[in-house]
Amino acid sequence: MTSTAQELHPHPVLEPGRTILELRGLEKRYPGTHALKPVNLAFKSGEIHAIVGENGAGKSTLIKLLTGVMPRTSGDVIWEGKPAALATPHEAMALGINAVHQEVVLCRHLTVAANMFLGEENSRFGILQQRAMVKEAQKIIDDLGFDLPAHVVLGDLTIGQQQLIAAARATVRGTKFLIFDEPTAYLTRKEADQLFTLIRRLKGEGVTIIYISHRMEEVFELADRVSVLRDGTLVGTRNISETNDAELVKLMINRSIEQIYHKEHFTPGAAIIEARGLSGKGFENVSMTVRAGEIVGLYGLIGAGRSEFVTTLYGRHRKSAGQILWEGKEVQVNSEHDAIKLGMALAPESRRDQGLCLNLPVGFNLNLPIYKRISNNLLISGSQEKTQADRQIADLRIKTPTRNALASSLSGGNQQKIVIGKWLAHGAKLFIFDEPTVGVDVGTKAEIYRLFGALLSKGAGIILISSYLPEVYELADTLHVFRRGKLVATHGFRTADHEEILTQALAEKQEKLGGKI
Amino acid sequence: MSTEAVPAEKPKRNYNALFGLTLLALLVLLWVILSLATSSFASANNISNLLRQGSMIAILAVGQTFVIITGGIDLSVGAVVGFATVIAAMLINAGLPVFLAILVTLLVGVAIGLFHGFGIVKMGLPPFIITLATLTSLRGIGLLMTNGNSISINNDAFQEFSRNSFLGVPNLFWMVILVGIPAYIFLHHSRWGRYLFSVGSNAEASRLSGVNVQRTIYMAYTLSGLCAAFVGVLLASRIGIGNPTQAEGWELQAIASSVIGGTSLFGAVGSVHGPLLGAFILATINNGANLLNVNAFWQRIITGALIIIIVYFDGLRRRGK
Repeated sequence: MTSTAQELHPHPVLEPGRTILELRGLEKRYPGTHALKPVNLAFKSGEIHAIVGENGAGKSTLIKLLTGVMPRTSGDVIWEGKPAALATPHEAMALGINAVHQEVVLCRHLTVAANMFLGEENSRFGILQQRAMVKEAQKIIDDLGFDLPAHVVLGDLTIGQQQLIAAARATVRGTKFLIFDEPTAYLTRKEADQLFTLIRRLKGEGVTIIYISHRMEEVFELADRVSVLRDGTLVGTRNISETNDAELVKLMINRSIEQIYHKEHFTPGAAIIEARGLSGKGFENVSMTVRAGEIVGLYGLIGAGRSEFVTTLYGRHRKSAGQILWEGKEVQVNSEHDAIKLGMALAPESRRDQGLCLNLPVGFNLNLPIYKRISNNLLISGSQEKTQADRQIADLRIKTPTRNALASSLSGGNQQKIVIGKWLAHGAKLFIFDEPTVGVDVGTKAEIYRLFGALLSKGAGIILISSYLPEVYELADTLHVFRRGKLVATHGFRTADHEEILTQALAEKQEKLGGKI
Repeated sequence: MSTEAVPAEKPKRNYNALFGLTLLALLVLLWVILSLATSSFASANNISNLLRQGSMIAILAVGQTFVIITGGIDLSVGAVVGFATVIAAMLINAGLPVFLAILVTLLVGVAIGLFHGFGIVKMGLPPFIITLATLTSLRGIGLLMTNGNSISINNDAFQEFSRNSFLGVPNLFWMVILVGIPAYIFLHHSRWGRYLFSVGSNAEASRLSGVNVQRTIYMAYTLSGLCAAFVGVLLASRIGIGNPTQAEGWELQAIASSVIGGTSLFGAVGSVHGPLLGAFILATINNGANLLNVNAFWQRIITGALIIIIVYFDGLRRRGK
């Protein structure tokens, strides 16, 4: 009736190094695309196997096939020596295959404990044993070393904490094969370290870990082996000790990039926007200036107030004190509409929640800010709508069959290109990019950075928010560090080292900065 | 940014129009079957009658569709129709010129729509709740105004309008065209129509893209209120009385027509021609069932089953896409 300790840690001790799952000619075709060309690959028990590749290389397809979300077109999956159909998610879970997704797919309105036992509730005579479940969940969480309460509602936790819960949940279900899809995209460094501890521990218990990430340093920190996908083809598998960053990048994009962080320097022009002692929800007394031709980087942990600051500049939230000056004159920005009219553009943090109308076409999304411009008083010009969208699709190389494809059908990097593309068509003097490269592959990243250069050369100014230090470090002419809603330090281009900036962002000297950042 | 070619564009099928065609085919099929099965269906009289029956729900469904596309719902439209018959009847009986009486009635519909917008945007109420509240209270206000009685309209010209035809087509059906064409242009060819879709798909993304989300929501409910008040005028003309309890349950018929016409209750999917066809399919089924002497209770069951079947197949088709 009640869960026993055995059920909590049901991983059978697996013989390490034994092949647990083998792909034989696994293939997936969608109408119009060959998403995964026949893949042969064997995963061993107790290994951490990283899979890297650009967006659209076939990583998501592979996960969907392994977790039974989609049927394969041909090929075999051999699970512990026997062919497995993997026709439904339920079948995959019954075998012990689980996945932790980048976007948390749990019930935000239920408690942490309820989420952990969702579908396997602990009940006696049909009555939920709520208190017992909270207690057990707390035990598991403490055991994993996560400092989180089990009785609170999941939605009250940060995205990163929710991600940890999702990972913890996957570990209590007899998982033998666990897939992590970009798990650290929204995690702070501390949370990421906790997650890595969990992953290593699972490995120790003989669980096979598939780790998908765009962050090379994580791959090198964690993985035993790494496989590279490119255009749906498995182009190579390497032992991590026998490869390096450069080789993987070359395999991934089939060309070497000497410089991902494409940086162009311009002499800064006149001030475009100036914040004087600006305060609002989540930040206080922030002053900064953005001039034409410069990138101002905002670095800090998630929740440090950077996004709140820019969305207030953009009129999404009300300021509580301070002034905003636009080209030297004080202005009131009471709505996004005011901001756009002045000449601001915001590519927000979350593509899914803030950036895109996912169930509408690509062309629709691209044209959304300019419908006013491409229509007369009454009607939208059909030909303009078409040419404007097609121009952005071509310029940004957005991979989509047509402009009428739904935005949801595109890969993450291509979706990000839409978010940016809609403002390129509109034009602006100040571009605000909030985490523009989260979940974006190396090739697309480089394209986005090149785009920054193009915008600067036309006299625009850029605010770049990133939680990924190398990005802001290599790109920003002026780098502001945020901590707990305050601007705590300012640096010029490469005038401070990583260590110093990190310390300023964290200011918790005792906190271990595990791994390379 | 680069010379790499973008994949060549595949010829696009207009999928909305295609769905419209399947619905049209269904409607025609029903008509052919009923013409063969009954002697009276194909008569000019019956067809006119059918068009009159379907017209009012069709207009309501168009207004309802605007709201549903934004991800909302307007449960009040039936009550607004009943209330509008009372307003129109009182104003005409008070001696106001008919056109002025109609104008004021339409403005009342606009005001009700604005109130819904206010409740949703400013008070933060869910659309279901605010329109459910007006559904019950408007009936109450109407009953208070009439003391629970019907008001006979003393104006023959006003009543004749709904009985007459123009070029052999009933005036009421002309009203569908009068509403349908501007509605089509508005929804499919103007930026305000695009904004309805974008708000229904992702209000936050729309907002950050410079769309005035609040104004768009006001607009959707105002248009729905306006359509409902207009139907109220037509109904007053047709039955010659003002009675606040009229049009009971029409909101559900309007929603059903809209959904049969391919509108998604999750928002961001819908058209103008779909709900129009949906309304006339429902009207045809009721009309045909009457002619075939099918028990009126069965008609309701058939309508329910039809909603399930059509929406199910629509969902299959979408997923298969």
